[in-house]
Amino acid sequence: MDSSLESWQKEVIRCIRCGACQNVCPVFKELQAESTVARGRVKLIRGVISKDLDLTDGFIDKMSLCLMCKACVVNCPSGVKVDKLVEAARKEIAKKKGLSPLKMLIFRLVLKNRWVFNAGMRTGRIFQGLVFRKGSNGQGMLPRMSLGIDKRRLLSPLAQKPFKSMYPEVVKVPEATMRIAFFTGCMINYIYTDTGRAVINVLNQNGVEVVIPSLQNCCGTPVRINGDYETAKTMAKANIDVFLKEKVDAVVVACGTCGLSLKEEYAELLKDDPNYVEKAKKLGSMVKDFTELVVSLEGFEGKMGRLPVKVTYHDPCHLIRGLKVKEQPRQIIRSIPGVIFEEMTKADTCCGSGGSFSLYHYELSTKINDHKVESVHKTGAEILATGCSACRMHIEDGLNRQGNPVKVMHTAQLLEMAYQAGANPSPVKHDKGKGRKNLE
Amino acid sequence: MRLEIIQKLSEIVGKDNLYTELEDLYCYTYDASFVKADFKKDLAGVAVYPSNTEEVAQIIKLANQEMIPVVPRGAGTNVSGGTISVGDCIILVLKRMNKILEIDGKNLIAVVEPGVITGQLQSEVERIGLFYPPDPASQAFSTMGGNVAECAGGPRGVKYGVTRDYVIGLEAVLPTGEVINTGGRTIKNVTGYDMTKLFTGSEGTLCVITKIIVKLIPLPEAKSTMMAVFSEIVQACETVSEIIATGLVPCSLELLDNIYIRNIEEYAKVGLPTEAGAVLLIEVDGDSEILAKQIGKIEKICSQLGAVQIRVAKTKEEAEELWRARRSAFAAVSRLRPTIIGEDATVPRSSIPAAVNRIQEIAAKYNIIVAVLGHAGDGNLHATILTDETDQEEMARVEKAIDEIFIATVELGGSLSGEHGIGRAKSKFITIQTGEVGLEVQRQIKQALDPNNILNPGVMFGA
Ligand SMILES: Cc1cc2nc3c(=O)[nH]c(=O)nc-3n(C[C@H](O)[C@H](O)[C@H](O)COP(=O)(O)OP(=O)(O)OC[C@H]3O[C@@H](n4cnc5c(N)ncnc54)[C@H](O)[C@@H]3O)c2cc1C
Ligand code: SF4
Ligand code: SF4
Repeated sequence: MDSSLESWQKEVIRCIRCGACQNVCPVFKELQAESTVARGRVKLIRGVISKDLDLTDGFIDKMSLCLMCKACVVNCPSGVKVDKLVEAARKEIAKKKGLSPLKMLIFRLVLKNRWVFNAGMRTGRIFQGLVFRKGSNGQGMLPRMSLGIDKRRLLSPLAQKPFKSMYPEVVKVPEATMRIAFFTGCMINYIYTDTGRAVINVLNQNGVEVVIPSLQNCCGTPVRINGDYETAKTMAKANIDVFLKEKVDAVVVACGTCGLSLKEEYAELLKDDPNYVEKAKKLGSMVKDFTELVVSLEGFEGKMGRLPVKVTYHDPCHLIRGLKVKEQPRQIIRSIPGVIFEEMTKADTCCGSGGSFSLYHYELSTKINDHKVESVHKTGAEILATGCSACRMHIEDGLNRQGNPVKVMHTAQLLEMAYQAGANPSPVKHDKGKGRKNLE
Repeated sequence: MRLEIIQKLSEIVGKDNLYTELEDLYCYTYDASFVKADFKKDLAGVAVYPSNTEEVAQIIKLANQEMIPVVPRGAGTNVSGGTISVGDCIILVLKRMNKILEIDGKNLIAVVEPGVITGQLQSEVERIGLFYPPDPASQAFSTMGGNVAECAGGPRGVKYGVTRDYVIGLEAVLPTGEVINTGGRTIKNVTGYDMTKLFTGSEGTLCVITKIIVKLIPLPEAKSTMMAVFSEIVQACETVSEIIATGLVPCSLELLDNIYIRNIEEYAKVGLPTEAGAVLLIEVDGDSEILAKQIGKIEKICSQLGAVQIRVAKTKEEAEELWRARRSAFAAVSRLRPTIIGEDATVPRSSIPAAVNRIQEIAAKYNIIVAVLGHAGDGNLHATILTDETDQEEMARVEKAIDEIFIATVELGGSLSGEHGIGRAKSKFITIQTGEVGLEVQRQIKQALDPNNILNPGVMFGA
């Protein structure tokens, strides 16, 4: 296999050290040290390849200080894939040094085995009991043990019931015009079931039949970007098998990170596996973000009622720079009667979540988040729509901290609200309801 | 670095603004140049990020007492090796001093700290209808301090001049730790030697700049952009000379050679004829009534001198599209070979065709690829060498070629560096331009201000 760190030599020398990344890297903006900007990270990786440096704690720390937000990648004149380089370095670290205790627990045991994950999530023993305890205000979950992560990190409470257990495997509609498979991802399944429900309601109302394959797993990105490739591969293959079995027109995601993983990264991850790489590509070609699918549905605007609210939108890193979805959510929001859409400044700057980055560098990720909260606040919007549950959680956390009442939701939920305002009877549930209870 | 020194520095800047870890210091062994540091020998002892003039003064005083070399640093985007660590030294980063202190619309001046990003100052002043013209291509990320220390310039130089033409006053910390104020807030000022101009372009060897006063001008009302394509580069050069001889002063006059044209077209598909010898991108600015007339005249000159295609942008978007070609130049050629070395020899405008010829000859002689892109209006050519730094044999040829390009430039009456500075990269060539006497005078100035040679040793005068 040629995916060793050395094989990235060709990529590191493409960095011409111009320094343009200083202008866009959110981590550098806070820390200012040269080692915390893309240029520094690339140089450090180069140093390890050329054996100037070892995989020291200092190096590991620097590699953990990347949000994988791709801001540097799209801005770089030579197009250096900094996030991929950092990922390769983390993989090398995991290989030579092993994963840290918490990461070990979550990655190896919990995420990989759907049943442990499910059981754990359901009974609250593994996640909520063992690793996390309730926050003082009774809402969130605080990490219980000192596991190299900041103890104050507030996580949203887990849903009463996982999303997948709330629906049949096939959510049918009369005279369906299309059939899609929904990749829920972990956060929708375990935390933000309201997003999942909105996706289904909206698609159903447009005559789309939704399959929710029960055997689907976590997409694997959290383990892959932290260097655990073996687990990531197992998870990728399982998902590929599950989704290619379905006879559907598209595989729909409601999260840019899961989407990018299914669409492109599985094929990269499995490039040395001739059997699976083709399957991965096939799956990739079917992946669509929820908003991409919606704007292609004829007459999706027709069912909306008035929503007299001011809305702004945050671009999740992997949705805008990964799946290149930028206009579709805006088109949806603008098309809702009554909505005033106000673009915030730097809508496409990372919110600071960066997956487990916010667990490990809570203080820093909070500072990065403060800029986002400030931009949201300046628009005067009442609702912040976005396309990723991790962003939603992180920005919600930031808004809460500052006592800001802006409501954060997935674009699908906003659209669901508009449909409900249109008083169209929902074909699945809440037939005659006024719709409010559908939302909370 | 001795522990007690680090302790003292930490007391000055605070422990959060000081770095001593290997991995941190490793990241000060480079800048945007191709100067190579020997990591074992050149690794810095400490990097500090002061937040005000007082802290800078204390650091320098300490360094002077203890004879520790200091390397001032802004964004580290210089291309001459001016910010590379030199062994057990102090890297003095000015990025935390990043406040715009004042924009005075009545007196048309701005006062800034050295860590302010140039592009940021520009957008702030433009908001109130004013203009700070120097526009190095790095303006979105390089600092004002670095721009002043390198006397940076850009495409607008042809009409508006370079950084030096806008700096009217400085506050700086001398190598002994004393604070000096030069120039002032007035355009006219002849009190004593012009220290402001001496410090501008001093590349961190004479002082640490801590405050900058620049003059501003009213923002031109409008712009008009056009592109002319020529089959021969000579025709394009003649056109440039003719435009300027006619008394028209465009605010940009950018020249791209065939290598750039082919690659840009392949990369960005902007509709350039790939067999063309040269493209000129021309922009005029000023009152909107006169722009059309100016562009008309330039159009005429272009066609008289053999332009095979002329495109005048009718809308902002079209202008943007033309500039897209220029802006994608770099990314376009970087696909060709992994390593890009940008040189910046400058010749008198009339010698541009000869200079391009010489560069092409040298490229052929050493069998390397050299593309040419230039701020043709002021003779500033950027010979871009496309190579692969992991190929040592080729790199040896590249080095020889660069040496020859420098010598050819000076023979043509030009200057070693138009805007990138001498730094560590070109120090061995400095005398071919200044002569021995010139160098000696500069040495004495350095000696007078920095007797212990602590500020950026090795820059300009060699190791
Ligand atoms: C992609 C790219 C495009 C570029 N385009 C141009 C261009 O069009 N025109 C141009 O002129 N240059 C250009 N440059 C070169 C570079 O950006 C300029 O030289 C710029 O002025 C450097 O600013 P900096 O903040 O990065 O300074 P640095 O690189 O950090 O420092 C430059 C020099 O100034 C000294 N210095 C920095 N701050 C201070 C201070 N406060 N007091 C005293 N000394 C100080 C340093 O010791 C060093 O010698 C380009 C560079 C890149 C990478
Ligand atoms: S922008 Fe790209 S090429 Fe430039 S320093 Fe950053 S990573 Fe390197
Ligand atoms: S991916 Fe984001 S956080 Fe990481 S180096 Fe690039 S810009 Fe910085």
